Amino acid sequence: MTAVAPHLDWQFQLLDLDRSHPTPTLVPPPPPVEPGETPAFRQLRSILTPDIASKVRSGAELLRHIANHERTEVLPTTIEAFDALLGGGLPRGKLVELASRRASGRFSIVMSTLAAATSIGEAAALIDLGDHFDPQIAEASGVDLRRLLWARPNTMKEAVMSAEMITATGFQLVVVDLGLHPLRGRRAPDAAWVRLARTAEAHGSAMLVSSPYPLTGTASAAVLKGIATHAKWLGKGNAPRLLEGIDSGLTLEKHRHLKAGARASVAFIADFAALSA
Amino acid sequence: MTRVACFFVPMFPLAARLRSEPDLLHEAVAIVEGNGNSAHIVAATRRARTKGIHAGLSLPQARTLLPKLIVRSRDAECERTAQEALFDVAETFSPRIEDASEGVVYVDVTGLERHYDSEQELARAAIDAAEKIGLPARIGIAASKLAARVAAELPKSPTIVEPGKESEFLAPLPLTRLSPQLDAAGTLHRWGIASIGDLARLPEAEVASRLGELGRDLHYAARGIDPRPLIPRPLPPDFREGMELEWPLVAIEPFLFIANAALDRLAQRMEMQGFACKRLELTMTLEPDGFSSRAIDLPAPTRDVKTMLTLLRLDIEKTPPGAPVIGFTIVAHPDRPRRAQLSLFGPAALSPEKLATAIARLVSLLGDGRVGMAMSVDGHLPERYAIGDYAPPPPPNTRQKPQKSGGLLAVRVFRPPIPVEVIMNGTDITSINGEGDLSGAVRVSSGPWRIESGWWSDAPAAREYWDVELERGGVYRVYQADPSTEWFVDARYD
Repeated sequence: MTAVAPHLDWQFQLLDLDRSHPTPTLVPPPPPVEPGETPAFRQLRSILTPDIASKVRSGAELLRHIANHERTEVLPTTIEAFDALLGGGLPRGKLVELASRRASGRFSIVMSTLAAATSIGEAAALIDLGDHFDPQIAEASGVDLRRLLWARPNTMKEAVMSAEMITATGFQLVVVDLGLHPLRGRRAPDAAWVRLARTAEAHGSAMLVSSPYPLTGTASAAVLKGIATHAKWLGKGNAPRLLEGIDSGLTLEKHRHLKAGARASVAFIADFAALSA
Repeated sequence: MTRVACFFVPMFPLAARLRSEPDLLHEAVAIVEGNGNSAHIVAATRRARTKGIHAGLSLPQARTLLPKLIVRSRDAECERTAQEALFDVAETFSPRIEDASEGVVYVDVTGLERHYDSEQELARAAIDAAEKIGLPARIGIAASKLAARVAAELPKSPTIVEPGKESEFLAPLPLTRLSPQLDAAGTLHRWGIASIGDLARLPEAEVASRLGELGRDLHYAARGIDPRPLIPRPLPPDFREGMELEWPLVAIEPFLFIANAALDRLAQRMEMQGFACKRLELTMTLEPDGFSSRAIDLPAPTRDVKTMLTLLRLDIEKTPPGAPVIGFTIVAHPDRPRRAQLSLFGPAALSPEKLATAIARLVSLLGDGRVGMAMSVDGHLPERYAIGDYAPPPPPNTRQKPQKSGGLLAVRVFRPPIPVEVIMNGTDITSINGEGDLSGAVRVSSGPWRIESGWWSDAPAAREYWDVELERGGVYRVYQADPSTEWFVDARYD
């Protein structure tokens, strides 16, 4: 069998023996791989000096960076001793427990935390199992009530369910105050706290559980214990007395990244003038 | 040139019933009209039709042919809600729609060629949209309502009649397509006229002189001329779904099972229109007579079926209807869902849709007045508070530093205040006796601080407050109410 001449011509052309003919290509060359930048972004980068251009990120990268930064950052409660024990404040995406049976300023820390979050425009929620919240005192403490969602569950189960629901909505701070001893309703199972901690982690919410005794177990990233001391009074001897405030101590019982056992003292002032104002 | 689409649902009473009871879709089902021996079949599913069941048979005849035939009577509520659902589908294509009759809707689709490559594609999109809500619609598109309806009634769907070719399209079709209940059918048959084209070819004046006004209209129709314009219907103020039940329901669970499906359909319809539900109204028809109505205001517009169902359940549990339920109607009042502009550098704003759903669920879980925005109230009594709707303002566009609270001592308010016994020495409290931690000797007491409030009202309050610190720890706020002389602890400093 003999080969047909035109076919041979084409074969020679494919071998590129004659440079005058254009080389046929079966598959077009792939387009060059471009970084995920828009033309506008490339134009912006081109007009910048090289040292600045290398630091400029794409929009997507910038958003990722902001999200990662938010995950690792903390929410300062503005109570210096409390923040110092936690390494700067309440970690976002983690569950922190504050436990104390006696009056040790636990609710005052809750108020300060709510005030700190709402004053920077973040959405905060208070799950108030004991129904102890006083809007007048909260306002005097600096809480922006418009940004605070107040939920008043009747049982522990409702409190945990509400906290999970609220956290999943995207609130930046969720505070679960379980009130005083004895707790209302039956205790929540450990799995409920683990689930709550995972929800907080998934949504990057800072979560503070304020309870009369430790409940969250392994789910919490940090546990602080409040130590009560005597109240401070103005006036001595037979003179009438006036409550000046209370001093309390805080102990870091557990922390995933810091050494446990650190102590700090906090003073809270009974500012009746602020309340009446 | 005007283009009109006709949405036609064949065997509408059956289609409406199957939409409410989708489990019956593959069964031999027949819809009957009338009672007792006068009951006759008006529509039947394909499975029933293959066994010889057809419209016009009496119920005993149908039972003889197919003893296992599932029979449902015509349900006006089902048909009404199915018709409304058909409107909703039509309104997703054009705001100008006309309600023709049961299972027929005309839609002005003029100008939609910009959104769809062809009218064929538009019609297929309409069929798909109707199928999503459980209605098997046929679509016909033409320049007039009459031609569109005839096109929609043809078994092959969709049918598109080119502009100006209405008479050509109608000509080969039988006369019954123009009007099934034609009074002059006998006369025309005697003339030897079988198709629409035969009639169109007759002189108009001759037909009019023999058949009168009816003949003129019929001749116009046969030539594809339809002078009736499309009359758009106004937008309805609410969405309704309902059903008449085959047997009375006495338990809440079966009722909620059916209500869930109705709410699901409502949510779908509202989603198509871009609405969410702000208020739900439920009317239950009771046996033997009477109604039970209730209205539920949702904390924020939502389309979450689970939330709406939970709220319905709670309301029915709180106030049961008191008699078996044989029918119901759910009315959803629509509102625009809340929207928010998200910030790139400031704190993330909450999604209004998610927030509305979460609040509705919290209300259903915790009850009314147990969730919302805390509000301070003017007055002097320390326990005062108010709770309102939670609607946070948008967050700032940039990050800010938190404001220092100044370490203010907070109090835990006891609602209601706890009664205690108090032992005094002069103006000092020496010990209190109450439940749990509220007992013991007093280390320091401070008071009295007198508060008088509302002396002009029906419920005046005059109290004397003390701050007491117990030896065992804890600072409490104690008051004596005047004139009862009872003592209460109303707060703890914490």
